[in-house]
Amino acid sequence: MKNDKNAHIPPDTDGTPIREHVFDGIAEYDKRLPNWWLLTFYGAIVFAIVYWMADQHFPHGNDQTRVAGELQRIEAAKLESADANLDDATLWKMSRNPVFVDAGREVYNTNCAACHLVSLRGKSEMATAIGPDLTDNEWLYGTGKPLDLLATVNHGTAKGMPAWGPVLGAKKVSQSVAYVLNHHKEPAE
Amino acid sequence: MSARTVTINYNDKIVRQFLLATVLWGAVGMLVGVIVASQLNFWRVNFDLPWLTFGRLRPLHTNAVIFAFVGNMMFAGIYYSTQRLVKARLASDFLSSLHFWGWQLIIVAAAITLPLGFSRGKEYAELIWPINIAVAFIWVVFAVNFFWTLARRQERHLYVAIWFYIGTIITVAMLYIVNHLSIPTSITHSYPIFGGVQDALVQWWYGHNAVAFFLTTPILGIMYYFLPKAAERPVYSYRLSVIHFWSLVFVYIWAGPHHLLNTALPGWLQALGMTFSLMLWAPSWGGMLNGLLTLRGAWHKLRTDPVLKFFAAAVTFYGMATFEGPLLSIKSVNALAHYSDWIIGHVHAGALGWNGFMAAGMIYWLLPRLWNKPLHSVGLANLHFWLGLVGILLYVAAMWTSGITQGLMLNATTEGGTILAYPNFLETLNTIRPMMLFRIVGGGLYLIGWLLLAYNVWRSIAGAKAVDGSVDVFVADEAAHAGERLGVGRTFINPPVIFSTLGTVSACAWMFGGDFLKIVGLFGTILFVILAWAHFGARSGKWAEWYDRLLVSAAPFTVLTFIAVAAGGLIQIIPTVLVNRAQNVEDRIQVPYTPLELAGRDIYIREGCYNCHSQMVRTLVPDVLRYGRPGVADDYSRLGDSIYDYPYQWGSRRTGPDLAHVGGKYPDSWHYQHMLDPRAISPGSNMPNYPWLVDAATDVGALPAKLRVQRTLGVPYPDQSPAAVFAQVEEQSKAIAAGLKTAGIEVDHDREIIALIAYLQKLGKSEPAAASLGRKSEGQTSKVAAASATPTP
Amino acid sequence: MSAKSIRPNRDSVTTIRDDGSRLFLHPADAHGRFTALRRWSGWVLIAIYLALPWIPVGGHPAVFLDIAHRRFHLFGLTLAFQDAWLLFFGITGLGFSLFFITALLGRVWCGWACPQTVFLEHVYRRIERWLEGDAVARRRLDAAPWDTTKVIRRGFKQVVFFGVSAVIAHLFLAYYVSIPELWTMMHSAPGEHWSAFVFVFVFTAILYFNFAWFREQLCLIICPYGRLQSVLIDDHSMVIGYDEKRGEPRGKAGTPDAGACVDCNRCVQVCPTGIDIRQGLQIECIGCAACIDACDTVMDKLGRDRGLVRYDSQTGLGGGKTRWLRPRTLVYAVLMLVGATVATWAATTVRPAALAVTRMVGAPYYLADDGVRNQFMVRLVNKTDAPARFVVTVEAGGQPLTQTGFNQVVELAPLAEQVQPLILQVARADYAGPFTFRVHVTDEAGTYALDREAEFTGPHRSLLGIKSEASQ
Repeated sequence: MKNDKNAHIPPDTDGTPIREHVFDGIAEYDKRLPNWWLLTFYGAIVFAIVYWMADQHFPHGNDQTRVAGELQRIEAAKLESADANLDDATLWKMSRNPVFVDAGREVYNTNCAACHLVSLRGKSEMATAIGPDLTDNEWLYGTGKPLDLLATVNHGTAKGMPAWGPVLGAKKVSQSVAYVLNHHKEPAE
Repeated sequence: MSARTVTINYNDKIVRQFLLATVLWGAVGMLVGVIVASQLNFWRVNFDLPWLTFGRLRPLHTNAVIFAFVGNMMFAGIYYSTQRLVKARLASDFLSSLHFWGWQLIIVAAAITLPLGFSRGKEYAELIWPINIAVAFIWVVFAVNFFWTLARRQERHLYVAIWFYIGTIITVAMLYIVNHLSIPTSITHSYPIFGGVQDALVQWWYGHNAVAFFLTTPILGIMYYFLPKAAERPVYSYRLSVIHFWSLVFVYIWAGPHHLLNTALPGWLQALGMTFSLMLWAPSWGGMLNGLLTLRGAWHKLRTDPVLKFFAAAVTFYGMATFEGPLLSIKSVNALAHYSDWIIGHVHAGALGWNGFMAAGMIYWLLPRLWNKPLHSVGLANLHFWLGLVGILLYVAAMWTSGITQGLMLNATTEGGTILAYPNFLETLNTIRPMMLFRIVGGGLYLIGWLLLAYNVWRSIAGAKAVDGSVDVFVADEAAHAGERLGVGRTFINPPVIFSTLGTVSACAWMFGGDFLKIVGLFGTILFVILAWAHFGARSGKWAEWYDRLLVSAAPFTVLTFIAVAAGGLIQIIPTVLVNRAQNVEDRIQVPYTPLELAGRDIYIREGCYNCHSQMVRTLVPDVLRYGRPGVADDYSRLGDSIYDYPYQWGSRRTGPDLAHVGGKYPDSWHYQHMLDPRAISPGSNMPNYPWLVDAATDVGALPAKLRVQRTLGVPYPDQSPAAVFAQVEEQSKAIAAGLKTAGIEVDHDREIIALIAYLQKLGKSEPAAASLGRKSEGQTSKVAAASATPTP
Repeated sequence: MSAKSIRPNRDSVTTIRDDGSRLFLHPADAHGRFTALRRWSGWVLIAIYLALPWIPVGGHPAVFLDIAHRRFHLFGLTLAFQDAWLLFFGITGLGFSLFFITALLGRVWCGWACPQTVFLEHVYRRIERWLEGDAVARRRLDAAPWDTTKVIRRGFKQVVFFGVSAVIAHLFLAYYVSIPELWTMMHSAPGEHWSAFVFVFVFTAILYFNFAWFREQLCLIICPYGRLQSVLIDDHSMVIGYDEKRGEPRGKAGTPDAGACVDCNRCVQVCPTGIDIRQGLQIECIGCAACIDACDTVMDKLGRDRGLVRYDSQTGLGGGKTRWLRPRTLVYAVLMLVGATVATWAATTVRPAALAVTRMVGAPYYLADDGVRNQFMVRLVNKTDAPARFVVTVEAGGQPLTQTGFNQVVELAPLAEQVQPLILQVARADYAGPFTFRVHVTDEAGTYALDREAEFTGPHRSLLGIKSEASQ
């Protein structure tokens, strides 16, 4: 500080107090901090108190209930997009609706045809095909009821068919099932 | 004794020793860092050697950088500055030497045991129990040496640097001892006495405050000495020192739970972790401002003096890291950033920018003074600075990009938010791989910079003569200051301490009290804050006078510091440890591991799997969509899911996917093939191969002792004879081996891989809590309180 | 302390008063070539900031960071998440440019191009000047009692400031949602897009606080880049400095033996951060050059040479010769070239499509009667605005592999992406152990190709003789 090349400039003239103690040559000013800086500290403390009150005194549910709620909304959205309350009758009805069947064809050709072939006939058409025939009335899983078919597509099988539910979402799964059912006759009952 | 002048010769030999050790271990720690960074992109850099795998070397990197590099740097800086600030030679040359050699021995022991897979399985607390005892012992040696020196001081007042050193010494001792409490099962293995959520909480109380009190407070002390010395300027503000010291030591301790946000940790602890982290911003920046504004009058010297360049940049990085920290502690930001590379970038901005640059500045400043010869090359020092700065830029930019990209991808949903856009974890990993490459370049440049420092040090001290500093001190008559120091009464009975105590007690009553006490506590807190405010306004002179007297009283100062740092930990940990187990399980409770699974778990810990895999499905929709099991409603992790985990394995970074629910997700054959060659199963995986798991036999012999300790800890194992344990292991392992055989895999049932598969297939297995409680402990309350509410019954 | 007679010193921060309160600066107007030039460049920059979300390049706004659809449009280049690593080059490129420019020209970024300075100097301060008059008038208004006139004048200014902040915040949002979408949002109730509404509101509040009140405190205390720039300056970097040899000792015009500086304090009055440039290089100096113009004006009046305060290096100010070409600037230049080359190369590797190959969840392989089967999922992303047709083939280096899935051309709508199964099978007799294959994607015309490697795996050969239904 002494050999400062700007020594001609008067040193601190605004009367900043300097502490009397000097430690190994280190002196200390005792300047004020910017008030706005202090306010950020006080502000954080006030925020902490308000946050705690909101969190603990006015319970609006905790993380667990919140995430459960969001998951339920997702579940609801899935149900809705799958045109809710799917049952065998509804799926049969969908399988006769050209809008569903067309959408289902697209989903099927993209995702299912690799194993079950575009014709849906799988091993019946080509010995080297991977998936079984979906047009005959022999079902390896379940009894061929639309809901069984839906479950198989959603959850996959041990033989290697993957679970398509988490990949395609509920809507596309039901469309693809409708497309497959379109190749079947609804039992007269 | 009458007044006289004496000459004090400083013990600078110990400073030189610690300084050279800093240079050496810094290079080692950074080199290991570059190696492990390379392994993330090129897994083959482990050469298929068990002791070079990422899981074992990453603990070596973190421990070496924290305890060996920053540790030695801290000791050099503290010993150099303390002697001069209190005008006394270090109290004992023997203790100083013992401290130095003991610490180096510990580092060597760590460098050998960690690659061999001896690990406690907790981050930055991996060292095994015999080394833990050595660390605690040497730390006590350091403390005795330091406080003894203070007792012999010729400078009555304690300078701000000394405050920070005191805070460091007592806090690190407290943290280290509590987090390392363990029960040994053998000479190299132990289980921590805390498990599940308690262990998680204690671990991050320790882990976060290792950052606070090992990497921050001692370095702030060092800044307060070396920065004004180098700048030849007065410290900007004494009152800023007072405020930021006390707020830092009091607030920091509470912030640990921000490492566990959105996990199964009870909500009240998460709220404390987040809000206290936000409160930390201003105190941290107090330190930065004081350093920065002290440099203000010497700003023009920055062009030429590498020491000041390092200090100015270090203080700037400290400011950036302590701004980012509170930001990352906000729960919604944390939901994106946690478990990602953003956190890695954050800690490296601190470690490389703050710690590394403070160390370099200090070393360049000390060299000419300890060896009485000018620095060999200022140009090289400038080049070091520049390489370091570029290195940090590349590293941090890479990690930000990586963390944010992966975080966004992992959270992205499609089909109206009902399914994940990137259901396969590997797609996100492969996206960030280029960033992992750039980080190697950044880290490599930083290492090269450090090697330039090493060369500069070598050339500077070659042929130079070591010199020890000395000072002539006027020793005043003791009698003249008799009664100046605070006694017990005045230490505790004074406005600042009384108001702080009443305020904290009221706040606790508010937090934990029942309906009535809660209200009293709330109003009490507000009342005492207002009273303290008013009193300070009216009597600030009295407060200042009391504080001045505290500064001549080392013991009372230390006691008050200890109380300030202990408060946060006590208030967070004790309720969590004391509450009935039943309150800690929520609706599910873990099924205890079979002996074989326990052996597999210890292999998992040995290989350091927790360095890349978490076991915690957070209470976040993307986490549950990704890791929840089909058919299980609301499948996030419950506290009960890990209640028998000693140590807990929630993890801190997901380089690979979460494993909390991996049990049963894949067939045994999948795990077998995946462990031998992860890429065969998962294209693009960067996980190492683990061929030695097929070669080595499981250490079944250690199981009876391990089970005994687990029983002591409260895991409901039956009291079995060793023979019964062995029989149980054999039965389960043979069943797994037989199953693998049908899938075309021939492997002996006693191999480690069988135990590990058994463990992995057990992950996530739990049962309804009520059933378990009813069965296992009749008479105990079966009421399962949600632990996420306030800890009141 | 009357603000007119600010006498900055090197031990205190001018803008923090002794009691910690803020000294609100009212910099006087400077006139001269740098002020004029800065105004021009400032308006050009503002025009660019405002125009980027408007100008269409290749069918999208020039800069459109479409977070919602995970696509980033930059000057005609469309990037997907998979290309986010290019962001790294953006960040480091800015870093290196800053290094280079700082080594040559000091903190020229701060004074001329930083949005903080640009918006503050050329928008907010202009409004203030227009509504409240020059520095003297503003200071007078500061000191005036809070009568109706003052309340109205100050209130009106704050309202204008808030309005300008809101406009900037909306434009900022437009970078993320595009202008038409922003327009739609502005015409619908806030409840339909809460997050965007809150974002704009919070951002407006931050801008307002910053530009109406916080101002230079951001540069002094918050911003790390200014400090890092200061450590990158050397003796030959251009800075704004005071020619001490010529100026000292100071004295009124006509004083014998006095230097050129008449101590008129104009340089202090125009300074937006409240320093005295004559005290040397300081942390607060943002290199805005106002003091140069102020001093030149005075020198012109006195008939003395300009440049008592000027752009020069420390060496130049000391009478030496500034070296522009020095190892540091050469190395920076080379590194910038290397960086730019790598970044350009990286950008050229960005294809109009993205490809990812992952294994299907489930067992690593399946044993069927006739062979070993591996199942993969292939993700294709069309990053262009036109429908794209892809041909997907598998190259297995002569391994007898049967491929199903992707037997026909895949057609993807503009900006669409699709995940599709790829099933590979090897006859039992042909399987001789794991091997690597390559998924090869070209567009139908074959203008570009993308490749990903993956491994085909199976059981131990001893098991292949056994007739088995499945691996499990």
